[in-house]
Amino acid sequence: MKYSWIIVLLILMNFLFCSENPATVPVELPSAIPADYKPPARSYWPTNGWQAVANDIPKNSFDELDKYLFSRTGDEKDRKGIRTDGFIFIHNGKIVYEKYARGFSQETPHLAWSVTKSFVNAFYGVAQKEGIINKNDFAAQYYKPLAVEEKKAIRLSDLLEMSSGLFWDEGYESSPLKSSVIAMLYTSGREDMAGFAAAMPVEHKPGERFYYSSGTSNILMKILQVKLGEQYAKWPWEKIFNPLGMKNVTLEKDKSGNYVGSSYLYATPRDMAKFGFLYLNDGIWENRRILPEGWVRYSTTLAKSYYLTPTNKYLVKENTGAHWWLNQGIPERDQPKPWPAAPRDTFCATGHWGQYICIIPSYDAVIVRVGDDRDGSFSLNRVFKLAGDILGGIN
Amino acid sequence: MRKFRKIVGYFLLTVGILLAAFTVINWKHIQAFPSIISAYYAKEFCSCYFITGQSEEFCHDYTRQYVPISDFSLDKEKKSVTVSGLGRTTTASFHSAMTGCAYD
Repeated sequence: MKYSWIIVLLILMNFLFCSENPATVPVELPSAIPADYKPPARSYWPTNGWQAVANDIPKNSFDELDKYLFSRTGDEKDRKGIRTDGFIFIHNGKIVYEKYARGFSQETPHLAWSVTKSFVNAFYGVAQKEGIINKNDFAAQYYKPLAVEEKKAIRLSDLLEMSSGLFWDEGYESSPLKSSVIAMLYTSGREDMAGFAAAMPVEHKPGERFYYSSGTSNILMKILQVKLGEQYAKWPWEKIFNPLGMKNVTLEKDKSGNYVGSSYLYATPRDMAKFGFLYLNDGIWENRRILPEGWVRYSTTLAKSYYLTPTNKYLVKENTGAHWWLNQGIPERDQPKPWPAAPRDTFCATGHWGQYICIIPSYDAVIVRVGDDRDGSFSLNRVFKLAGDILGGIN
Repeated sequence: MRKFRKIVGYFLLTVGILLAAFTVINWKHIQAFPSIISAYYAKEFCSCYFITGQSEEFCHDYTRQYVPISDFSLDKEKKSVTVSGLGRTTTASFHSAMTGCAYD
């Protein structure tokens, strides 16, 4: 009885904290594209190459953008500043601006780092369309290491939304000793990356917390490997790269024969732009569906777990869809968009050291930027600002 | 003076115990850590050179880390890269245009 007032106080505090941090989830989660989205009709498809726009945009419109992307100081040894290797800007289905630097050209494939993850999303779209998997399936159904009591509730969609609840530390240079991603790619996990990620302890219930996890992408690829067997080796080419006319793609494997879906795709910016164009067209290519109806909308819908995760500095920058990154923010919590200068419907594939494929449906635009920024001085938001100024000048 | 020595002794003992505890707790990470240097360099150099077709100089600048490597060899015939650093040696080889480089 003596301590009953403490209990009362605790209960009151509980209410206080609940009301301060309402983990409310909107009835309808915001998506980059509306349910009735109809991509513009296309006069051609860039499968065999991109057309450039006729000279109706004054050349000097791009001066500011050019200056921002390609004026670097210092030499190759110092690895400082903004180091753009390639940039391509697609508007209304045609190239309006393109440039390369530092030994890269139209023909040079560039390491995509985590941009690769959004390709994993595309593979899952195809797999769902072909009835190979359904995103609502339990991962345990396909992959034994997850068929244990505490992990069997993880669904494929939890993995796609990086909300599996499996422990992960996504530090690179900041915490090299304990970084899960470094161990997975370079040391103890490198032979079987999916196995390494799936063996992580459970930290949360699936679907309740979002935190960036490269491990989930490799688990997803392993599930396709298990399910597809011998077909797996050529499958990404047959289903995505070849239909889009991506002629020069490399996708590296780990020793278990699994494609490293977290990190190791190489492609030219022109080919990456085709991939962006597929999503801009709601998964349709050459007037035929490659991704099933509703897949792009699902992939660009802010994950439910995002609303349940306590705010932190990473969360504000990482608006997670399903292996795509959104520009929604949470207006009802005064949380700004990750790229304030870009329209809210923008979504991007993003990779380490400055790799981006961004789709802006309201501009009918795709922007691809590859580079090698080591000091974080590059601002994608600045590029969106300058791109918006250019398009504002045209329209 | 004796008291001072005693304090220093306790202090060093505490530091020693903490270090040992840190090592035991993080052993899994500590023991795996040294191969990062050679593994990262070998794999990323291999991909840089054989996939993206950049020059050797470019790829060294690309792959350089804070901890320097002690040995490097590029075998253009076998399309492989062998790197030593922090007492470990790692080789990565180029397999095909489709699947790029992987550890041997």
